[in-house]
Amino acid sequence: MADLVLQNLTIKYGAVTAVDNLNIHVASGEFLTLLGPSGCGKSTSLFAVAGLNHATSGTISVGDRVLFDGNPNNTVPPEKRNIGLVFQSYALWPHKTVAENLAFPLTLRKIGRAERDERIKEALGLVEMLPYADRYPFELSGGQQQRVALARALVYRPPLLLLDEPLSNLDAKLRERARVWLRELQERLNVTTIYVTHDQAEALAVSDRIAVMSMGRMRQLGTPREIYERPADSFVADFIGSSNFFDGTMVESGTDSARIRLADGGEIVTPPGPTGKDGSVVVAIRPEKIELTGSTGPNTMRVSIEQRTYLGSVWQYAVRSGPIEFRIQTPSELKEDSILVRIPQEHCAVFPDKPGAN
Amino acid sequence: MTDISHPGTAGRGIDRSRAIYWGVAALTTILVFGPITPIIFQAFLDKPLYDNTAVLTLGNFGRLFSEPGMAGIFFNTLYFGALTMVVAQVFGAVMAVLVGRTNLPGRKWLGEIFIWPLFVSNLVIAFGWFTMYGPSGFMTLAAKTYLGGAPWNLYTVTGMGIVAGLSQAPLTYLMCLAAVTKADPLLEDAARSTGAGPFRALFSVTIPMIRPAIIYSAVLNFVVGIEMLAIPLLFGGPSGIQTVTTFLYNAGINAAVRPEYGIVGAAAVILLVVVAFLVWLQGFLMKGAGRFVTVRGKASRPSTLDLGAWRWPAFLFVFAFAFLTIISIFGGIFMRSAVSFLTPLIPFWKVLTTANFEQVLGSATYVRSIVNSVLVATIGAAIGTFFILVIALVARRSDFKHSRALEYIALFPRALPGIIAGLGFFYAVIWLPGADVIRGTIAVLILAFMIRYIPVGFGAIAPALAQVGEELDRGARISGADWWTTMTRIIVPILKPALFSCYALLFIHFFKEYVTAAFLYQPGSEIIGTTMLQLVAQGDNGPVSALATIQVVITAAFVLLARRVMGARIYG
Repeated sequence: MADLVLQNLTIKYGAVTAVDNLNIHVASGEFLTLLGPSGCGKSTSLFAVAGLNHATSGTISVGDRVLFDGNPNNTVPPEKRNIGLVFQSYALWPHKTVAENLAFPLTLRKIGRAERDERIKEALGLVEMLPYADRYPFELSGGQQQRVALARALVYRPPLLLLDEPLSNLDAKLRERARVWLRELQERLNVTTIYVTHDQAEALAVSDRIAVMSMGRMRQLGTPREIYERPADSFVADFIGSSNFFDGTMVESGTDSARIRLADGGEIVTPPGPTGKDGSVVVAIRPEKIELTGSTGPNTMRVSIEQRTYLGSVWQYAVRSGPIEFRIQTPSELKEDSILVRIPQEHCAVFPDKPGAN
Repeated sequence: MTDISHPGTAGRGIDRSRAIYWGVAALTTILVFGPITPIIFQAFLDKPLYDNTAVLTLGNFGRLFSEPGMAGIFFNTLYFGALTMVVAQVFGAVMAVLVGRTNLPGRKWLGEIFIWPLFVSNLVIAFGWFTMYGPSGFMTLAAKTYLGGAPWNLYTVTGMGIVAGLSQAPLTYLMCLAAVTKADPLLEDAARSTGAGPFRALFSVTIPMIRPAIIYSAVLNFVVGIEMLAIPLLFGGPSGIQTVTTFLYNAGINAAVRPEYGIVGAAAVILLVVVAFLVWLQGFLMKGAGRFVTVRGKASRPSTLDLGAWRWPAFLFVFAFAFLTIISIFGGIFMRSAVSFLTPLIPFWKVLTTANFEQVLGSATYVRSIVNSVLVATIGAAIGTFFILVIALVARRSDFKHSRALEYIALFPRALPGIIAGLGFFYAVIWLPGADVIRGTIAVLILAFMIRYIPVGFGAIAPALAQVGEELDRGARISGADWWTTMTRIIVPILKPALFSCYALLFIHFFKEYVTAAFLYQPGSEIIGTTMLQLVAQGDNGPVSALATIQVVITAAFVLLARRVMGARIYG
């Protein structure tokens, strides 16, 4: 197994910068997810690692082998990179059976028939598709095709596995089961894995670390918990889960806490954070972290309920305090029109601007 | 798991794939420009190409335009082309709508009949028209006898234009048919729901959407008209009417006795420029066609329009068209081949004979031309399919940096009239050192036909290639296959049906070709088309009709076989 190191990776198409100065060190055996909205450059980066599109500058190396360093003469073509790749559409070759699909990369590596059959059996066994070896791809369901695609990417035992939204064509239930299974398999094989998805729940569930990307740039790199609980900026706070954003102005900033005046005139205490040029800030707080409370005190607010939405597992309310509108979630239904809520200091984050402003 | 590292690392240098890219690009460029270059040179040289004392001059163009009758020749050509286009468009589009979208009785078999003419050369068609509607043709005599007069005269430019137009209508029909039947019926349903009647919906929604097909085929038919040899040669020859193609043909054939290299070169260059402009115009006019694209992934059945009381009058009209311009033409050729003298005045069975076929089969030259035609079509189509396949793969599926340029060059022969391709190859084999070895062999015919029909084959392969997702290539590359292995092991097997179609189309085109071969064949390398051309000139109509019949029968057998056995898609 091997580390994957991306240094200053930049990919430009004409005047458009698809990926801007990406630096990631993926440790051997790690499961790293590139997460972001469509067009953020995550798949572009993945395919650059595979050698299927051309990076502009920077370096890509796996273990001690440099795959790309900006010099076209040193660029390793995709077929010599020895990387496993699973496509969103699976890309199973329709004229080959499942076993033939798996045999192709082994034949190219000049592996003898006996060993080849052994490896095909082993790989199909791993994905529980052994009984389907002689089927053609069109005879398989989407979930089965996805497993075969994975087996094909693993059969030649690459040190690095790349997955481009492999679960996005499965239905919701199957997707949840498949991601658990995928993670177990990856742990068992201990193969360094880069996973691309736009589904944050999926990313949180499977990853060792997540790199959140937007507009070609990496916004934050961290464990799922860090990403969710300590978002680095308002984009991450908004994209992972969902957040309320309160406009405010910094009144006092200390080492452990800050006091911020909100638009309704009230003040709340938050962790410290960077301010905008004119001292303005936004405070991010997730709807499910806002608590109902019986008594007034610091960080409490009286709000009126404007809209009620039943979401199944929770109730969501649009509430208002003066000019401030935000959402809260409760496990049970609230009958009142006006309630008292508390914004816990430890769950707040302070950013200089709103998502999309930068 | 252990790592199976690949031996060797980087290295862009000259790998196998890059060698193929450059090899194909070089070969295509040489083959496409090889025949054009000497023509252009010749147009600007005062002496024959091979004469070392020749100097550059513009005099040829001056001589060409001062030649008496030259203005008339250019006028005839343009008028003939325009008339061909108009007649073909009107009949072709009407037939396509009637067959494609109405409940016309017999629309299925009528639709089949409409595409017959596409399988045979316009030399055969022209001969059929001559046999039936010529001055002493079967229909002409019948009309004179039973109706008291035949109001047509094919031996005028207008007559020729109408014949050419009627015989080109199937091409328009085919292109418009695809457009009317693939139009999304939901769009018409939408018009119906806003209050349009069924006829109104057809005329306001569907007919405008076949506009790209009409424009495209209009330009195509205009080009076919101005580069057509057979009809002007057969009908214009006797009455002294010339077009640019017959001028080139006569001047080229008679080059040995009356050297007119310069003028021929100049006329050829002018024809080439005009056709190239028209092909460019076609592309230009099609630019905004995107807004007409109605074909969506989902296959849907077009609804048919109920003609009501007009069903049978419409049937009569369509059947009359099919009978008079297609069935009678083929019938005339077959009948003529089986009799000593074709006339409505003597009962058929009294003049039955096998002499025509005996004459053809008894002559070593004629038999050789049949064998050569089959060889050229069978072998040539195979080589052509392979060559075009590699061009398409490099142009559409590689990281070759000049892939777009390669496609442009490969498709340039669309603008290369057959007579010019023939003339160009004729010059090139004399001019290029070493090319002389293939002079007068069927190899040069195969080469010339192949160049001329690259666009036809490309048109059969490229759409199928576009259907194959790029991830299949990418999957193979990342699995460890280089570009060439990816193509041969993954893409080509998936393309198999399209390759069969390409082969079948090339076979049919090679088998019916005659214009390109007119300057290139020599005793020993005759093909059916050139032999017919020679016999027509001598007025030997019996053997011509026998040869034409043999050509039609072989073609029909091949089409049946290709459709049944290979599952090839030929014209729908």
